[in-house]
Amino acid sequence: MVEEHSTATQSIQDNVLQAREAAPLHSDGKMVRLLDHFKREWQLYVMLAPTIIWFLVFLYKPMYGLQIAFKDYSIFRGVAGSPWVGWEHFETLFSNDQFLRAIGNTIKISALNLIFGFPAPIILALMFNEILNARFKKTAQTIVYLPHFISSVIIAGIVITAFAPTGGIVNVILGWFGIDSIYFLTRPEWFRPIFVGTGIWQEAGFGSIVFLAAIAGVNPSLYESAVVDGANRWQMMWKITIPSIMPTILIMLIIRIGNIMEVSFELVILLYQPATYSTADVVNTWVYRQGLQSGQYDLAAAAGLFNAVVAFVLVMTANTLSRRYSRTSLW
Amino acid sequence: MAGVSLSNIIKRYGAVQVVHGINLEVAEKEFVVLVGPSGCGKSTTLRMIAGLEEISEGDLLIDERRMNRVAPKDRDVAMVFQNYALYPHLNVADNMAFGLRIRRMPKDQIATTISETAAILGLTDYLERRPADLSGGQRQRVAMGRAIVRHPKVFLFDEPLSNLDAKLRTQMRAEIKRLHNRLGVTSVYVTHDQVEAMTLADRIVVMNDGRIEQVGTPMELFNNPVNTFVAGFLGSPPMNQMKGQLTETGARIGSAEIKISGAMNGDAGRDVIIGIRPEHVTLEPGAQTSVLPIELDLVEPLGSEALLHARFGDDNVMFKTETHGDLSHLSGVAEVHIPASRVKIFDAETGNALSLGG
Ligand SMILES: Nc1ncnc2c1ncn2[C@@H]1O[C@H](COP(=O)(O)OP(=O)(O)OP(=O)(O)O)[C@@H](O)[C@H]1O
Ligand SMILES: [Mg+2]
Repeated sequence: MVEEHSTATQSIQDNVLQAREAAPLHSDGKMVRLLDHFKREWQLYVMLAPTIIWFLVFLYKPMYGLQIAFKDYSIFRGVAGSPWVGWEHFETLFSNDQFLRAIGNTIKISALNLIFGFPAPIILALMFNEILNARFKKTAQTIVYLPHFISSVIIAGIVITAFAPTGGIVNVILGWFGIDSIYFLTRPEWFRPIFVGTGIWQEAGFGSIVFLAAIAGVNPSLYESAVVDGANRWQMMWKITIPSIMPTILIMLIIRIGNIMEVSFELVILLYQPATYSTADVVNTWVYRQGLQSGQYDLAAAAGLFNAVVAFVLVMTANTLSRRYSRTSLW
Repeated sequence: MAGVSLSNIIKRYGAVQVVHGINLEVAEKEFVVLVGPSGCGKSTTLRMIAGLEEISEGDLLIDERRMNRVAPKDRDVAMVFQNYALYPHLNVADNMAFGLRIRRMPKDQIATTISETAAILGLTDYLERRPADLSGGQRQRVAMGRAIVRHPKVFLFDEPLSNLDAKLRTQMRAEIKRLHNRLGVTSVYVTHDQVEAMTLADRIVVMNDGRIEQVGTPMELFNNPVNTFVAGFLGSPPMNQMKGQLTETGARIGSAEIKISGAMNGDAGRDVIIGIRPEHVTLEPGAQTSVLPIELDLVEPLGSEALLHARFGDDNVMFKTETHGDLSHLSGVAEVHIPASRVKIFDAETGNALSLGG
C-alpha cells in the first residue's frame, strides 16, 4: 500500500515537472529559443562564420549560374536574360562521342585510383606502424610526405622528365635491359598507369597520416593482451589494427567514392596531350576545353551539373550502404 | 610446481630505477596480492612477470624455469587488464576464443571450452554481444573468461576491479575468490585497495617506492606490521600513530602513561611512535588498559559502529566503537582505554617496529 502510494505521488510529481518544462517551449517558440541560444553562444557562431561565408560565396552563389545549363546562354544577355532551352544541352552532350568517351575515361581512371590509390596510404600507415626505430620512421615519413607539398606543375615536370624518350631515367633503365626507348607520354596505353602512379606517389604519404592517427588511437592494452595470448605482429595487424581502424577506412572510402567524378584535373591537363586524349580526356578536362576554350559555357555547365549529380548519388549510396552494414557513416 | 619466483628483480627505465631488487616466492596455487600506493611499482613488477616489460636485473622463474628472456606467449601466463582490453570488433565468444585461435586449438574444442567457461561466469546469454553492449561487470567477466579459457599456469591481474562501482566490486571480488578456490591456479593480483588485498589474498605483499615492505598473510600484516608504513597502509581507518617516549615501565604520549606488553629492546627516554588501531580501544576500563584523555570532535555513525574523530594533544586520532543502536552515550566521551596487548611501538626515526606485541 505504502509503495503504491509513493509511486502514485511520484508520477504526479513527474507530470508536474514535465508540464513546467514544457510550458515555456510552447509560449516561446523556436525563433525565440534560437535567439536565446545565439545570445548565449555567440562566440561559437563567430568562429563558425568564416566557414559559412566561404560556402556561401564560393559554393552557393555560383549555383545561381547553374541555370545556364538549361539556357541558351550568351555573355551579352547575361544569366537572367538568356532564353530557356530545357534539356537541349544534355541531349547534345549525350550524343557527343567525346563527352561519352570522357565519362568512360573518368570512370576507368577513378576505378584504377580506387583499386590502387585507396589502399596505398593504408598499407603505408600499417608499414610505418611496424617500424620500431624512431629515427628511421621519422625520416621515412618525411620522405613520403614531401611530394604532397610540391605543386602539381612541378610534379608533372618531374614525371615528364623521368619518362622523357631521351635521357629520362625510366628509359635509361630500360636501355640497360636492351629495351628500346618508349615515348610514354604520347602513348595512350601508358597514360593511365602513369597518371595513377603519379597520384599515389604524390598523395599516398600524406593520406597515410589519417590512418596513422587512427592507429595511434587504438588502445595499447589490446596489443599487450594479444602478446600475452601469443599473437605475433602479423596477427596483431590483421586481428587488431585493421579492424580497429575500419571505421576510418570506411569514412575515407565514402569520401573517395563521392569524389569519383573528380579526377585530379590539373594533373591531367599537365600530363595529357592530344595524342593521349583517347584515354586521358576526362569530364572535367572536356568541360574545361569546351567551356573556357571554345566558349560554350552553357554546354560546359550542363556537363558539370551532370558530374555533380552523379557524385551526389554515389556518396549518398556509399554512405547508406556503410551505415547499414558497418554502423559507420559520414552523417 | 607452477610457482613464481622473483629474485633481486630490478627495473630501470633509462637511468631511473623504479623497482629496487624484489625477492618474492609465490607458491603453487597461492593467491598473492601486491598492494601499495600509486607509483610504487606494482604494475611494473606484474608486467615483468608477464613479459610485457623487460627485466633489467635479477631472475624470474615460473615453474622452476628461468623466464627473463622467454617471450610472453611462451610463459604460459594469462593477464587481466584494468581496462579489460576487450577487442571492440569481436563479440564475447570471439573475444574469449582469441587466444585459443591464435594457438590453433581445434574448433570443436574451442567451442566446448568457451561454453563451459561462459557457464562458470554466467555469460552464456551474452556470447553474441559486442563489448560495447555489456555492462562494466559483464565486461570484467569476459576479460576473466579470456584468461580462464587458456588454462594458464599463472593468472596475472592488474587492478581488474578498479573501474567498477563499489557494490559490483564487492560482488566481483567474491567471484574471483570463488573462482580461485575452484580452479586453484597460481595468481598474482595487483591492487591499491587494501580491502581487496585483505579479502582476496593468501599472502599480501606490501610495496612502497619500488621495494617490498612486508610479506605475510592478511592477519600477520594486520596484527604485526613491521613498520609504520605497513601499519598505516592496512586497516581502515588506518592505525593511529602518535609521537611518544619509552619509559621504565612502558611508554608515554605527552602526559599520558601507556602500558605496554612484551619486553622492550629500547632504552627509557627513547623517541618512539606509538600505534593504536582505531577498533582496539574500549570506552570502559579493563584489566590491562591505560587511559587516553581525548577531546571529541565529531561522531560519525556507520550503523552498528561509529567513528569517533578526536584530538589528543597535537594529534588527530580516530577510534571505532560499537553503537548498540544508540549514539547518545558517545557524545560525552572524554577518554578511551587502550589494552596493553594492542599497543604497537615503532622507532621514531626508522619507523621499524620495536616490539612484536604480546
Ligand atoms: N615507461 C616508463 N618510463 C619511465 N618511468 C616509468 C615508466 N613506466 C612506469 N614508470 C615509473 O615507474 C614507477 C612505477 O610505476 P607502476 O606503473 O608500476 O606503478 P603502480 O604501482 O602500478 O601504480 P598505480 O597504482 O598508479 O597503477 C612510477 O614511478 C612510474 O612513474
Ligand atoms: Mg598500476
